[in-house]
Amino acid sequence: MSIVALEGITQRFGDFVALDNVSLHVQKGDLHAVVGENGAGKTTLMRILYGALSPSSGTVSVRGQQRNYRSSRDAIADRIGMVSQHYAIIPELTCLQNLMLGAEEGAVMNLAACRTRADDLASRMGFSFDWSAKAETLGPAGAQKLEILKLLWRNAEIMILDEPTAMLSPRDADALFESLKKLAQDGATVILVTHRLPEVMDYCQNVTVLRGGKLITHQAVTEVTKPELAELIVGHALTEFPSREVTPTEAVLSVQNFSVIGDRGDEAVKGASFQIGKGELVGLAGVDGNGQRELFHALLGTRGFHGLANLNGEDLAQNSTRDRIEAGVRIIAEDRHDEAIVEDWSLADNAVLGFQRLPSFRAGPGINEAYKAERVQEYITRFNTKCTSAAQPIGSLSGGNQQRFVAARALGESPSLVLAFQPARGLDIDATRAVYQGLREVCERGAGALIVSFDLDELLEFCDRILVINGGLISSPAAKKRAEIGQLMVGAK
Amino acid sequence: MKPLPLAMRIGILGLTCAIIVLIALMTSGANPAEVMTALLTDTFRSPTAFADTLKRFCPYMILGVAVFWALRAGLFNIGVEGQFLMGGMAGTVVALQIGGLGGVILGALAGTLVGALWALPAAWIRAYRGGHEVISTIMLNMIAFQLSNHLVSGPIMDPEAGFPTTKTLPPESMLSGIQIGDVNVNWALGLGIGIVVAFGWWLRRTVAGYELSVTGANSTAGAFAGIDVRRTTFSALMASGAVAGLGGGLQAVAFEGRFFMGFSTGYGFDALGVAILAGSNPLGIIPSAFAYGLLQQGALAVQTLHVPPGIATLILSLLVILFSAFRYAKVRHSNG
Amino acid sequence: MGDLSFVTNWGMFTAILGLAALGGMFSERSGIVNIALEGKMLMAACITALVGGVSGSPILGLSAGLASAVLLSLSHWALTQFYQVDHIVSGMGINLFAYGATNFIALTFIKPEVPNQFLPIPFYFGCLALSIGASWFMFSRMRAGLRLLAVGENPDKARTTGIEPLQVRLWALVLAGILCGLSGSLIVTNSGSFGDNLTAGRGFIALAALILGGWRPLSVALACLAFAAFEAAQIQFQGAPVLGYQLPAAFWKSLPFLITLIAMAGLVGRTKAPSGLGKI
Repeated sequence: MSIVALEGITQRFGDFVALDNVSLHVQKGDLHAVVGENGAGKTTLMRILYGALSPSSGTVSVRGQQRNYRSSRDAIADRIGMVSQHYAIIPELTCLQNLMLGAEEGAVMNLAACRTRADDLASRMGFSFDWSAKAETLGPAGAQKLEILKLLWRNAEIMILDEPTAMLSPRDADALFESLKKLAQDGATVILVTHRLPEVMDYCQNVTVLRGGKLITHQAVTEVTKPELAELIVGHALTEFPSREVTPTEAVLSVQNFSVIGDRGDEAVKGASFQIGKGELVGLAGVDGNGQRELFHALLGTRGFHGLANLNGEDLAQNSTRDRIEAGVRIIAEDRHDEAIVEDWSLADNAVLGFQRLPSFRAGPGINEAYKAERVQEYITRFNTKCTSAAQPIGSLSGGNQQRFVAARALGESPSLVLAFQPARGLDIDATRAVYQGLREVCERGAGALIVSFDLDELLEFCDRILVINGGLISSPAAKKRAEIGQLMVGAK
Repeated sequence: MKPLPLAMRIGILGLTCAIIVLIALMTSGANPAEVMTALLTDTFRSPTAFADTLKRFCPYMILGVAVFWALRAGLFNIGVEGQFLMGGMAGTVVALQIGGLGGVILGALAGTLVGALWALPAAWIRAYRGGHEVISTIMLNMIAFQLSNHLVSGPIMDPEAGFPTTKTLPPESMLSGIQIGDVNVNWALGLGIGIVVAFGWWLRRTVAGYELSVTGANSTAGAFAGIDVRRTTFSALMASGAVAGLGGGLQAVAFEGRFFMGFSTGYGFDALGVAILAGSNPLGIIPSAFAYGLLQQGALAVQTLHVPPGIATLILSLLVILFSAFRYAKVRHSNG
Repeated sequence: MGDLSFVTNWGMFTAILGLAALGGMFSERSGIVNIALEGKMLMAACITALVGGVSGSPILGLSAGLASAVLLSLSHWALTQFYQVDHIVSGMGINLFAYGATNFIALTFIKPEVPNQFLPIPFYFGCLALSIGASWFMFSRMRAGLRLLAVGENPDKARTTGIEPLQVRLWALVLAGILCGLSGSLIVTNSGSFGDNLTAGRGFIALAALILGGWRPLSVALACLAFAAFEAAQIQFQGAPVLGYQLPAAFWKSLPFLITLIAMAGLVGRTKAPSGLGKI
């Protein structure tokens, strides 16, 4: 009998049907994968199981009994735990406080006893923590471990992990799966939401595929091959992204001995030296928090740097962000909501953002409205942003559509250097390919691109060359070889 | 908890506010209809009443712009009251010293300058030290009260007056106006309307106005779009302070003719409400400022019916709350 | 008041500021910006005097005063959490409302005066000491304190751990209401009768102390102690020369605000506000 059984789940948000008559059966002690593209409805389904959403129709049964969770609190009481893609760790609290939060033992806490129990749980998993340290000192791998301990602290038996390896290096990801296997052996059931197929093939027993809010298949992993699974996910056969040879003659960007000071006063980028040639798509591989963010901010000019940086022969040290935008620097920002758009404003007003001082966009003291109207249509059609009109507030679009618009904007107005931070975030495979194709096109017209992604496979597939960043140090692997790059990412080489 | 429909939520809030006002009117013992009539129509009762309303309308309008300016940059300039007071005091002192038309102009300019100066610590702390402007401007207000009260009861007090006030400007040293019917319309009103219109044009039709709005709506996105957020923030608060100071200077040289303890009847605080009630369009400041002037005029009239003037403040506070609840709900609603 | 010694004044002002500042602390640590301390104190002072005066019962007066401040706090909660009104706008609205309503009440009804044998001042000291100790214990040892901090730092993440931020903030604001109410009733107990704007900006001084104290109970209490000393000094010296200088009352009255400004400029130790402050 299944420990978890979701039957006929339908979830509507207004007119939009996120899930259409989906069912899911999970066996006790399994590592069960739920796979699908961005927007397939995986997370929505999991939030229903976790009580964070109540479905428009359908039933949720746990341990053979039908459940009607009114909030996550009910699900937690039913020993269901969820680690969401964006960790629920609050950086300002200590590790111990984070561990206990929401599941404290009694109104007054016996801190010594709590610490003992925390140590017990940690040693069971082979982890160790400084419990009185602030959680902000944890890296992505440490935060992930703390999230797992939180599940144990709450005695969760059914554990939902949403894209748990999205921020981890290949090595930390392997360690995580060893931990999960151990938990499953001890009787826990793990539901893994992912889009990384090797994880599914290597560690899971069963897999459920969703596409466009519909259940496509439910199979034992042994009955399916990786290419078959990929095809089931996308819905059509995938051709290989054509690889190409680029031998740049000139550099667009060249940095030497480039250092950036991070928020905590430490050196986030340490004396980097590299070049990006005309026409080149360069991927920057690395685990989140190793200096990618600071490097991008320094190149854009929202953060200072030491050393030399040259854009098409121009010294960047003297240039403000505004000057750099005029010189053709564009960014697809990491945090779309905070860094790239004004949610309440129309697509048209967002189309101007960043370009407001460009001569082409100016008319007298104001904006050239005719040009603006023309450009916003171009940005909308470039990657098929679905919207009713250019007057629609961008915040009312789905995340994927916002990303399409933002990516199209960054490729507009003749860029010379595109800085793309996770450009495929929230996009399905077809749209991801379209964006990378667009990046190639602007590069063919003489630009260069630097792309940060935490998904090494994405970079290997789409980029011409790979750089690796680890602890602020940038190295250049001899070839695009997965194993070598994976080792460089954790400084093991 | 499923949220109630917007109309019902706002309805509940509106009803609650209405009940509060009704209870207040009932307990006051006066006829509620009579009180409301006095509140709303006293302005039009006589030319003097109308002139008095205009005297409030003008600073409400200018201070409304001051608050709106900062608000558009995402800043709450609670310090408008202090900037208005300091500007009014500086304007009076300068105009008294110089006299004539030159005194009027230099007085207004001195008000502008001092208003900006009074905003300077808050602007600097916000832009370059990260301290919240609401807190710093509250502090600056309190200092402005103390300082202006102290100066007007000593150093700049007219020794012949029996209470804390400066000397009064002679009529020829004040800004005049044109006579329309029974009412004297001061040039300051024209200037006020001009400021609102010019500001509205600047905000909506220039790149600088666009950048100010981006900074207010999402400063991080602004920085990524090449906007110098710190400088924009700094200059927005400075401009807001300057406009508020100008309002004070004008109030002195156009209407009051002197500076005294109680020069401001809380214009600066009311202006926060004026700006909020104006909605998203700067031109909305004009009707909103007039409504404020009208209700404050009515507050004096209800006293003849033995109703305390606090009733007007009470009604205005409820209006502001109701309106902002409606407005925020509307914004969220359109985002689905 | 002139007969009272410096120390008595100092203690009383400390209690007034401390109670209000701790109230503000509960509110702000849960993420709700509270510039409405002043309005809540004013309302409590007025109602305490009115009900206390009419009934002749100090307990009844105090209870009514506390209830009125809690009621304002609850509206504050409803506006910021349920109606999503900006925290500054709603705080300002509440201050204005309290100003208008108390003016109205004080002039409509008989002049509110507290009866002679009203609650003894030491009662308020007890409340202050208790609040400081209790809040310290709450933040470091209690489930309620931990949840309050978590909601104030990051309501969304707190929600995913099964905490209901709306509920936590409701209780935080009730506490804020009670403490502001105590502070307001102490002010009116001390002055004997209610008049317009009786609180005279003390709610804002308390806010300043809250910021200067970095939102931590003991430091906030210390800041209140310092600010209260300035106010007591102003009464004590009454324009008498200090170290050979004639310092006007305005100087002493401005001192708390000046010091807070200087602290904000980073010239004295800077403090960090809760991350979720003001976020809906």
